[in-house]
Amino acid sequence: MSIIKTDHMKYSYDGSRTVLKNISVEFEMGKIYAILGPSGCGKTTLLSLLGGLDSPSDGQVLFQGEDIEKRGLAYHRKNNVAFIFQNYNLIDYMTAAENVTLTSKLPPLPLLERLGLTKEEAKRNVLKLSGGQQQRVAIARALASSASVILADEPTGNLDEDTAVEITNILKECAHQMNKCVIIVTHSNELAKQADVVLRLKKGELQQL
Amino acid sequence: MSVIKRAGLYCFRQRFKTVILFLVLTLMAVFMLTGIAVRDAAKGAAADVQTAIGGKIMLDLDTEGNMGSGQETQWGTAYAYNGDLITQEIVDAIGKVEGVVDYNTEETGGYYGAGVNFKYLPAALGLSYTKYGEASAYTVTLSSEKCRAFQNGSYQLVKGRHITPDDKYACLISKELADYNKLSVGDKIKLYSFTFDSEFIDEFEIVGIFDGTEGTSGNALTVDEIPANCGYVDAASVQEIFKGIDEDGYQQLTIFVEDPVDIRNVYDRISALPELKGKTLKLTMDTDEYDEVSAPLESLQKMVNTIIVLISVVSVVILTLLLTIWIRGRKKEIGMLLSIGKSKVNIMLQVFTETFIVTVISFAASIPFSFLAAEKAGTLLILRATKGTANLNVKIDTSYLLPLYTIGILLITAAVIASSWTIVRAKPKDILTKMN
Repeated sequence: MSIIKTDHMKYSYDGSRTVLKNISVEFEMGKIYAILGPSGCGKTTLLSLLGGLDSPSDGQVLFQGEDIEKRGLAYHRKNNVAFIFQNYNLIDYMTAAENVTLTSKLPPLPLLERLGLTKEEAKRNVLKLSGGQQQRVAIARALASSASVILADEPTGNLDEDTAVEITNILKECAHQMNKCVIIVTHSNELAKQADVVLRLKKGELQQL
Repeated sequence: MSVIKRAGLYCFRQRFKTVILFLVLTLMAVFMLTGIAVRDAAKGAAADVQTAIGGKIMLDLDTEGNMGSGQETQWGTAYAYNGDLITQEIVDAIGKVEGVVDYNTEETGGYYGAGVNFKYLPAALGLSYTKYGEASAYTVTLSSEKCRAFQNGSYQLVKGRHITPDDKYACLISKELADYNKLSVGDKIKLYSFTFDSEFIDEFEIVGIFDGTEGTSGNALTVDEIPANCGYVDAASVQEIFKGIDEDGYQQLTIFVEDPVDIRNVYDRISALPELKGKTLKLTMDTDEYDEVSAPLESLQKMVNTIIVLISVVSVVILTLLLTIWIRGRKKEIGMLLSIGKSKVNIMLQVFTETFIVTVISFAASIPFSFLAAEKAGTLLILRATKGTANLNVKIDTSYLLPLYTIGILLITAAVIASSWTIVRAKPKDILTKMN
């Protein structure tokens, strides 16, 4: 049973330059998906459409069988999906713990500690944390929300090899142990190898590898 | 995390921006409060002037076409008014009209008398056409205090009292004339007057001495051209002196109105009096004194209103520029908030709340500064605008905080909307793309 899917979804810029052609794909809970493709092929656009940051030119995105436009894109972003970005996108005047509470009323410390941050680090301003720690905070923020789908855009792109492996393992844990649907857009073949399903976006069409 | 908590954290953690915003808003509030205080003080002063001066309606003889065919005398052809006089019946009817608070008669040159037991200040011609020398003019009045020269401050009573409606054979003379003849309050002067076929000597008691005639004589040819020689006598005695010669009645009546703003209505009510129907009398409105004092106050109010509008516009512009610059620097934060499902309204509300928190503190902090500024600005503006003709009590009242906060909230709302406009219009994906 898919949690999120696209139905004959198309996307073009200014009605002329088509980026995504007639894409129909389903994503399931408990799995980790990797979307590969060359730069500018529309990977991030696909992720934005799945996450309700933009609307398709044609077709629709369905969450649990319902068009996400029906309840509004802001509702979809708030309740159904959570984003993890390459550059973490944390609020720089808040601590790690405060960033996590942006999406949840639950205490942030247990989650941050589970992702490897100490209490002191959790209370520290995010700009005073390393890249790996900041990405852990971003993941904690995504996990703190009630979202079933985690959309990660190059989550290890700014990290060193060891930290990237750690973050990948956390994302796998999210999918397999927490039963989330994790969709990762990446250039990294190493990361793609860890995915349950690998998809390639080429010339606007999505193929399963 | 709620909007208020996010806004509070931003204000507390981004202290440099908060301090700049605080200074801008405090300055704006000081200007606003000062403006409101000066404007209200001017309004209050105008109301005081209104009460103090009141309005006037003049009832005069309509001499046009009512001066008869002339009578030959040794001095030439003399014309005498042959129309209606202002009778006591008319005066009583006017006194009962709604809005009329008082009345007075002020007949300049209504009585001429030569000094029997005193001398006038001499004039250039040195005429002596009566056996007691040259005659000078007196203003016949019911209440000398309500005469124009005393009302507008040209003359001031320096000794004794004013002539009142109950007086008989009472007079006011100038200090110059009193000094010239060594006269003082309580002394009696004898005046010689005459008509075509009668002559009289009447004794008047000096009830008061007034000042203000000094230096106004110029090169007078006759004694009655020297203001110091021209005094005031009561109306009752003049009517008694000329009883049987002239018809009973006043030649002029000044009607005092309670509220100058309502003068038109009072004028209409007096015009409609049956006692005035068909009479050769002329009714005119006179708001000169009120206009003279209130005009600068009204222009001060207009000027301050313009300044308040200007300050508001400038404040919105400065605030919008500051917020625009800061919001541009917060694209990453806005993109992130959009990605976790915060609506654009929620984000704008956060910016508004941040500004509002600082506004509340700034406006409260501006009160003590405004006390000082209002006092200084008020004094300066009043001196320039009214040239000292009015006293203004400029003070900051706590009731000003409501309009201040109302204006402030409107201004920051306008500034937040204007500065967030580009972000509000953009798609979340575009914001995040630019952010990346």
